[in-house]
Amino acid sequence: MAARVFEATVLPHLDAAFNFARWLTRNDTEAEDVVQDACVRALRYFASLRDGDARAWFFAIVRNTWYSRVARRSGLTDTASFDRHEPFDDGPDPETQLLRQDTVVRVRGAIEQLPIEFREVLVLREIEGLSYKEIATVVRVPIGTVMSRLARARDRLQTTLTPTDPMETLP
Amino acid sequence: MSCEVVNQDLDAYVDRELDTEASTVVQGHLAGCASCRARVAERQALGRFVRSAPYYSAPDRLRARVAAQATQSRLSSRVLAWATAAALVVAIGGGVSLLRTARTPDDVAAEAVVDGHVRSLMVDHLVDVQSTDRHTVKPWFLGKLDFSPPVADLTESGFPLVGGRLDYLDGRPVAALVYQRQQHTINLFISPADGASAPIDSRTVRGFHVRHWSGDGMSFWAISDLNDRELTEFVNAIIGR
Repeated sequence: MAARVFEATVLPHLDAAFNFARWLTRNDTEAEDVVQDACVRALRYFASLRDGDARAWFFAIVRNTWYSRVARRSGLTDTASFDRHEPFDDGPDPETQLLRQDTVVRVRGAIEQLPIEFREVLVLREIEGLSYKEIATVVRVPIGTVMSRLARARDRLQTTLTPTDPMETLP
Repeated sequence: MSCEVVNQDLDAYVDRELDTEASTVVQGHLAGCASCRARVAERQALGRFVRSAPYYSAPDRLRARVAAQATQSRLSSRVLAWATAAALVVAIGGGVSLLRTARTPDDVAAEAVVDGHVRSLMVDHLVDVQSTDRHTVKPWFLGKLDFSPPVADLTESGFPLVGGRLDYLDGRPVAALVYQRQQHTINLFISPADGASAPIDSRTVRGFHVRHWSGDGMSFWAISDLNDRELTEFVNAIIGR
């Protein structure tokens, strides 16, 4: 019974969970592993979901799964410094260089370069369309912090994108 | 109101997270301040740019693995233990918990609406008639339904029409209109209403936001994974407020 309710409640949000995980991890395989682990956890803690927002609840589990993986791997407790230990792109390969002009590639690169605490709120807001309140629940910070992180994420993006491509020419 | 103060609220304003009063204050300032207007335009352009980022859907492989996991756990001892404990709790709670969880017809209908929404997204059968033109979508239902659903074009409100399809709720055919906001799909189910007009009922079922209301002889169910506020915006646009 629990598993059946779980299937009906959580599985519909699998795409959203994977999308979020993919932006957190910046890697397909890692994102798959994180979501699969998150599902195991979700199943285990399913009883703790009470008429709440299953999507935000699932996002929070995906996020916790990813953070604890990274913490385990690097032996860190300071979540804010993850990015220093994550490999950055080795630079564009020839094919990517050809696609440099492609908006999708540029926007992806710009978002992926954001530190994780900015990237996660930006993705939850712009790509998943969560409200500030929902983001605050997922990230477990006050709404004021969501707002300031979002503002800083956007400031950074604007700075990254402006030198080569003035905002006026953005689509 | 200085630029600095407005600056603090700029993102919340662009994200439509300010209440009416604060929003009016910002608008007042914007009317007389070209540089703040430019900043708003910049933020809006940035938002459009970010939303053109790829949306990564779960690979089929992952979907299959997770489904298998859930099925397997149905039989696992952990769940059996949990179910036993739950059964005990129910037994102890007795009639009270039964009363509390008694489901109204609307609860049952809301579940069916969620199922319909999920099905439409999963089986890749979102629309039977794909068109952003309501003059194409509305006539398509002719002869397929014994009623004529109202079809509104909400492009100007930021909810472009994607198309329509024939669906079934509670064993009877209904019109399903599909609208889009960014990557989010909204299903609007329409069927003839049995009773009088009913005000908007809001609920969240399995993480989806759901709205239900009746008017003009029709019953409406709107559902999406869109956030609560934007779904309200959608419903208001449909009702014409």
